[in-house]
Amino acid sequence: MPRTVSKGSASIGRTLRASRTWAGASLLLACALAFAACDHATDGIDGPFLVDRFGDFTLIEPLVASQATVDFAGGETVTFEATFNKQSTWTIVIVGQESGAVKRIEGFSREISDQNAVWDGGTTDLPFFRTEAVEATLLIDGAVLAESPPTAVEVTTPRVYPGNVVTGFEADDNANVVLGNFEFEFDLMATGPSMEIPAAEGELFYLLRSTGGPTVADPFFIGLTSIFPGAKGPTYFPVPTSIPEDLFFNAALYSFGTPNTIAVIQVGVDSNGNGVYNDGIDAVVSIIDQPVDWEGWRLFSIPFSDTIFTQEQLETIVAVRLLLISDNNGQPNPPLPVDYGVDFVTFTQGGPLEL
Amino acid sequence: MRLFSLPRLLALALVLLPVAAAAQAPEDDADEGIGLRFNGMGRTLLQQTDLGGGLADADTVTAESQTDGEFVLDLALNAQPNSDTEVQAVIRFRNEFGGFFGAGVNVEVRELWARGVVADVIRYRVGDMDQVLTPYTLYLEEEDGVVLEPEVFRPQKEVLYYEEFYTGRNTRRLQGANLGFGLEFEQGLEELDVDAFVARLRGTNFSDTPTRLISGGRAAVSTAPLTSYGSTINLGTNLAYTFDDLESGDANTGIRNTVLTLDYDIAILDRATYDLRLFGETGVSWLTLQLDDEDEGVTDDTPIEDNDTFVEIGLQSTYKPLALTFRGQFVNVGPDFFSAAAQSKRVDYSRSLGVYNRLGNDRLERLPTLFDLTRDPELYTFRISDELMAYDPRYSNVLPYGSATPNRRGARFGIDYAPAEGAIDASLDLALLTELRGQGTTELKDFLLLRASSDVDAGQLIGINRLFDITLGLQVEDTSRGGVDVEQVDLSSLLFEAGFAFEIYNRLDVLAGTKLRTADGREYIPVFENFNDVRDFPEPFDIDDQETLLGAGLRYRFRDDVYLTVQFQHLSYSNDATPAEGVTLPPEDYSFGQIFALYSMFF
Repeated sequence: MPRTVSKGSASIGRTLRASRTWAGASLLLACALAFAACDHATDGIDGPFLVDRFGDFTLIEPLVASQATVDFAGGETVTFEATFNKQSTWTIVIVGQESGAVKRIEGFSREISDQNAVWDGGTTDLPFFRTEAVEATLLIDGAVLAESPPTAVEVTTPRVYPGNVVTGFEADDNANVVLGNFEFEFDLMATGPSMEIPAAEGELFYLLRSTGGPTVADPFFIGLTSIFPGAKGPTYFPVPTSIPEDLFFNAALYSFGTPNTIAVIQVGVDSNGNGVYNDGIDAVVSIIDQPVDWEGWRLFSIPFSDTIFTQEQLETIVAVRLLLISDNNGQPNPPLPVDYGVDFVTFTQGGPLEL
Repeated sequence: MRLFSLPRLLALALVLLPVAAAAQAPEDDADEGIGLRFNGMGRTLLQQTDLGGGLADADTVTAESQTDGEFVLDLALNAQPNSDTEVQAVIRFRNEFGGFFGAGVNVEVRELWARGVVADVIRYRVGDMDQVLTPYTLYLEEEDGVVLEPEVFRPQKEVLYYEEFYTGRNTRRLQGANLGFGLEFEQGLEELDVDAFVARLRGTNFSDTPTRLISGGRAAVSTAPLTSYGSTINLGTNLAYTFDDLESGDANTGIRNTVLTLDYDIAILDRATYDLRLFGETGVSWLTLQLDDEDEGVTDDTPIEDNDTFVEIGLQSTYKPLALTFRGQFVNVGPDFFSAAAQSKRVDYSRSLGVYNRLGNDRLERLPTLFDLTRDPELYTFRISDELMAYDPRYSNVLPYGSATPNRRGARFGIDYAPAEGAIDASLDLALLTELRGQGTTELKDFLLLRASSDVDAGQLIGINRLFDITLGLQVEDTSRGGVDVEQVDLSSLLFEAGFAFEIYNRLDVLAGTKLRTADGREYIPVFENFNDVRDFPEPFDIDDQETLLGAGLRYRFRDDVYLTVQFQHLSYSNDATPAEGVTLPPEDYSFGQIFALYSMFF
């Protein structure tokens, strides 16, 4: 099909006939557009870094701590720094030399800095850090990096955790901890404040251990230990809030790996309003009823909204009771000893105790 | 490898010969005058491919030979009821080799269009149409693996081109409507041409895929000589707008890709013996992913937004007595420049190969070869992709998306020798480019591309009045990048082509040619997402391969557009690369032998 054209107005042609000027203007326009079109966003790169995808790992700056000593109770923190040639999965493992406490800080980056590696004294695995020396080790992809030697930090004061502490079972904190060996099945040589293993917090924890063996025919209920608020106040345990949804009960439990152990922790409130705990009269709930089937310390945090207690009742907590139960159904004959440890019983507000 | 027997070859030829009936003129020549006409295309292709080489000896799984073919008749019904209107429908009858008694027979409408002129001013076309603007807006770039195709390989390429609607003018096949008009002036401005179109690229699936359309056009003006030096100015503004209709289907996101450019060709001097021209194109692309919120409708929120610019400016001078043209250009195409209708490739490397896609007992996928690029219709497409398509750096790494390849800056030079009545056409092009933004590193790649070709009419040179044509083509590419070990890139490739066609008897030609390609080194091939973002580099691409494609055969030209050719082709491929850790090399050390007979006629 032939191309069609029609005659335009001669006046249009005359109007545009400033030809030399137009030619010059066209040249200038072409050059101006050329310059204008050379401006691009060239920062950064396209795609992932090839070194990250395919490069071998190289340590550029080894792990260092921002300070040699730290006063966590005074609000200080420790920042760790290290630099690699590529984005890597790294872990800083901080271990307390006395407590055995472990804090792990993990990330995926090419730089460890104050953006991703600040330690406020907390722990990942119980126990808590104490006033002690700690050692921080760098792991890349789960393996210790030999080129980066461990870095040491001296903890002058450990972190102060928020909340109201019921008891940490320390030497000066056991006046109102009462052992109830009604069934005579506690191993009295062991049960009580103990240093058998590192405590979750401080020096001591509370150990509950049965005698076990053929001396007890039906060792279901081994015994209980009650904690009363006497040392903490005139009548009731102070709580940061009495709103059930906001109030959390926290306790660190230690498992020795002993089979057939059940830990029960109860909270009692002053139902009759006489200011003391009356067994069988005051209301009690089992806030923890837990088979002890792991190893080591573990923190349990339970909101009081999981219980039947009201806000008014939570203002009158008069007892915390630690029960040691032997799972009779699972016990062989003769039955084996059962035991667990407990430490750092606290009330917190707004959420579980943050390690 | 099993060799082809002469009887088999003759049998193939005999099957084809009866089809060579009355051939007539091709379609475009038959559209003059009012009336009803039949024209079209007929083709018969039978081919057998045998597998050989070291890999085949150990391969107990793959069939040793494959035979396929087709019989195609495209019947074009062309009607011109008056001097201003023309309509055409092309109905395709196709029967695959091996299909009998109706099995494997397809009948479909291949093409349908109408065109005409309104009031002797506005020309229009609706239906299927071929559209081209500029290399940065709407354009079908040249294909990979070719500099100057030897004549022996052209028959198969012509099949591919016909099937994919490649016209040889870098047009893209679209389906829509086109309007245009031109104005001529008596003084100053000489001509004004306006062309506009809208076309549908795909339909909705009434679910998550909206209808996609493209619209745009070009307005161009040209002047009469403005000065005593013969200065003229040609200016054009171009628009290509690709968009999804979010009112169709249930999709809630759709592409908006606008490319607006200005091209110019300014004759600064035009004397009897030489001229000097300033030419180029510059423009901008906008790319957004539009959101269609259920409550608020189409919003201004754009989760993806990329804008970028490009510039191409050059000087060209022709020394007319020698028909020598020198050209120098500066190009700068931004890393985020995106033009779907210009950057879509002919070859879709994400597709499976049509012949022996997997080889060996491990059934590993084969890399494409020159053999595949020469004959495999499965690899080719005319579709416009909404994402930068995969490319094969062995064939094209410097400008894989043609002139519109993003993230390139540098210079291009060219020399053309093309006398009007001469026996030799030759050209030499050199591109020295670099990246603007690093891929996977802040280090930038440097590119070198050298292309040279020569088409020699040896018959004219030695004074014989018959076809004797010799073609040579060469492409050299080099890509390099510094940095640490894993960032370094050093890929070199070479493509050499040679061929000749000689008429040994009246209309009976001997055809022979070869294509040789080597590639050596390392490169990283990006995988794209979100239209043109590099998502990843799956693995280092280490290669040290070479392939040689040889072809020879006879062609008998019944008429200019009717011929029968019988050929033998042989491909040998080997790869000596040492793969990176964890990377499995594709099949290596194999060969293909192919015999085919092709009868083609346009009538």
